Amino acid sequence: MTLLKAEDISVRDGGTVILEPLSLQLDPGEPLVILGETGSGKSLMAQALMGTLPPELDAKGRIAIGTQVLNAGAPARFRGLWGREIGVLPQEPWLSLDPLMRARDQVAETHALVRGLPRGKARARAGADLAALGLGGSETRYPHELSGGMAQRVAIAAARAGGARIVIADEPTKGLDAARRDDVAALLLTEMGETGGLLVITHDLALARRLGGRAIVLRAGAVVECGATDQVFAAPKAPYTKEFFAADPERWAPRRHAARGGPAVVSAKGLALSRGGRTLFEDVSLEIFQGGVFGVTGPSGCGKSSLGDALLGLIDPARGTVSRRSGNHPNDFQKLYQDPVAAFPRKRTLGQTIADTARLCGARPGEIETLRDRLGLAPGLLARRPGAVSGGELQRLSLLRVLLRNPSFIFADEPTSRLDPITQARVIALLTETTERDGTALLLVSHDAALIRNTADTVLALAAPRPPCRPDAALARRRVASTLH
Amino acid sequence: MSVVEIHGARRPSLPLARMTGATLVVLVVLFALAGPLLVPGDPFAQSLMKALAGPEAAAPLGYDHLGRSVFHRLAHALRLSPLIALAAVATAGAAGLLLGTLAAAQGGWADRILTMLADALLALPGLLLVLIVLAILPGTALGFWAGLSLVLWVEFFRLTRAATRETLASPAVQASRLLGFGPAYLFRTHVWPEIAPMMLTAAAFGTATAIMAIAALGFVHVGMRAPTPELGLMMVELLPYWREAPLALLSPVLATFALLLGLTLLAGSRET
Repeated sequence: MTLLKAEDISVRDGGTVILEPLSLQLDPGEPLVILGETGSGKSLMAQALMGTLPPELDAKGRIAIGTQVLNAGAPARFRGLWGREIGVLPQEPWLSLDPLMRARDQVAETHALVRGLPRGKARARAGADLAALGLGGSETRYPHELSGGMAQRVAIAAARAGGARIVIADEPTKGLDAARRDDVAALLLTEMGETGGLLVITHDLALARRLGGRAIVLRAGAVVECGATDQVFAAPKAPYTKEFFAADPERWAPRRHAARGGPAVVSAKGLALSRGGRTLFEDVSLEIFQGGVFGVTGPSGCGKSSLGDALLGLIDPARGTVSRRSGNHPNDFQKLYQDPVAAFPRKRTLGQTIADTARLCGARPGEIETLRDRLGLAPGLLARRPGAVSGGELQRLSLLRVLLRNPSFIFADEPTSRLDPITQARVIALLTETTERDGTALLLVSHDAALIRNTADTVLALAAPRPPCRPDAALARRRVASTLH
Repeated sequence: MSVVEIHGARRPSLPLARMTGATLVVLVVLFALAGPLLVPGDPFAQSLMKALAGPEAAAPLGYDHLGRSVFHRLAHALRLSPLIALAAVATAGAAGLLLGTLAAAQGGWADRILTMLADALLALPGLLLVLIVLAILPGTALGFWAGLSLVLWVEFFRLTRAATRETLASPAVQASRLLGFGPAYLFRTHVWPEIAPMMLTAAAFGTATAIMAIAALGFVHVGMRAPTPELGLMMVELLPYWREAPLALLSPVLATFALLLGLTLLAGSRET
């Protein structure tokens, strides 16, 4: 029996169609993956299925959920299905848990309020739900006492506690490293089981491949390709799908290594960093050369971003020394941020900010325009504020701003972790091109080991730091600093 | 846990409240400034024959117990307290902004000493502090200005310090610093746009607090001295005659209420 069947779902914003008519069906035990880059309309489609579209958008089409047939244009009627038929796993679920509520109570709340069970029964059911997900013994912990993966399991339990058989997960692996990504895929598949329905919206190709089932590739609001996930991956038919898959860092052609020249721009000897009394890493030595890309990778919390900050002199190392090439102005050392929106003044247009920078650096007239064309940015973007520009464009604008300084060293801190694969490939190509062309030294930090492997001349892999209260994990403390050449 | 978003419909309520607040404040100020021009008269002229008499053309709000026109006394009272309050808020705002930014930017000892000072002042009841300053300084208006400034700067200081600290720790400021921008640029483009709306809200609340404080001390006979027309003083003078001249008593009460309500509505929510 089909759990959910949607026919000719389309979304319009006034006169413009932003999602072209699309039909899909969700069968028990077979995940459906919606793949697409940012702005492809994949989240809109999920919102249309749940009836949570913003009111200024109109949806059309018929949606059959279980025995009910609903009109996508009348979202009020969907309310009764939330929690009971459709459960939503929010993005970054550890942020959506109530920080002042214990794990069991978060789940019991849904049992009590959505299903209407009495308090005692709701708590008992919640305990059983958590135990089934391997969280027995953690019922009374607060979210800050749970690891990210455990918090995600609590969020899943809460999303499904209302009896929802269909789970919709929107970018469930956003901001996760590879190991955690596989855990999430396994967890989603287990939760779906034989009888549940699972709809995953993602741009994470590795997640899509692990989930299997069926896949729909969206681009600019239209379906590009659909079919069994394995087949789509094995033999993509549409040119866009090929381009999309080729943008996966796993499939990038390794970059040719640059020849080393001159003295190191930045070097560190016996560097140790600690944060909050906890040692992140010890005894790291490195040298970064002009025109070279130095890659740092490792799981979240291993101190890879802090390493870059220490090299920039933004934080003090616990031990060891950082030395920069003599004769460099302090402002020759620049940084690109993970979240470019947060790196610009919020209430100023990008053009103003960039013009300020150009004036400060004494840039030649026309230099902004030259760089803008080189980075492939439309002139109209400069009239907007940071919040109104897409992540990929904003990251290129950050690069433009930094290049006005003629930097000798750029620390790129996860510059593409919030971008979709195609945009990511473009931004990384621009970064490496700049490095080679201007002879800048680039420190590229990313949790994506494949990206680092295929981009960097030299790779430093950091291991996860030892958790403070778990002596059994002492082995994990060993640091691996390897040089691949 | 569910994805429930409420869109639209809620938004316009805030501007409506603000519009109402602005209208009330403008009406009161208009009355204070233009009232005596439309109906000329002297707030100090006594005529015991007319004590507690009802409204007439020369005194649209009637007469008080000494036969003075309530209309003209009220107009003068509504010039005096808001003027002192505005002067005090301006001084306190400037001092709070300066010291708060200093504390946030410097950190360390400067921050600790300023925070300790602000906390110590916060521990004293505000009215008591104003009374102490009133006893020390000559001239009641000057005393009120100094005392209220001393009480009010703490709020501005704390707001500025907290918001500036957060802004200065943001990646945007770090990026600007790395690019070589100086403190003046950082303040102008990063800090001020974040704190300006908060400062305006705090200023509206501060003005209301100051007017209230002046009226409260006048009401208990330790603020402005008779025969100065002042809101609190007028209320307490007319209180014994509430049965004979209800309008004379109600006028200062309603004017004060309208002004304070207007300022509070204008301040609106802190979220903006």
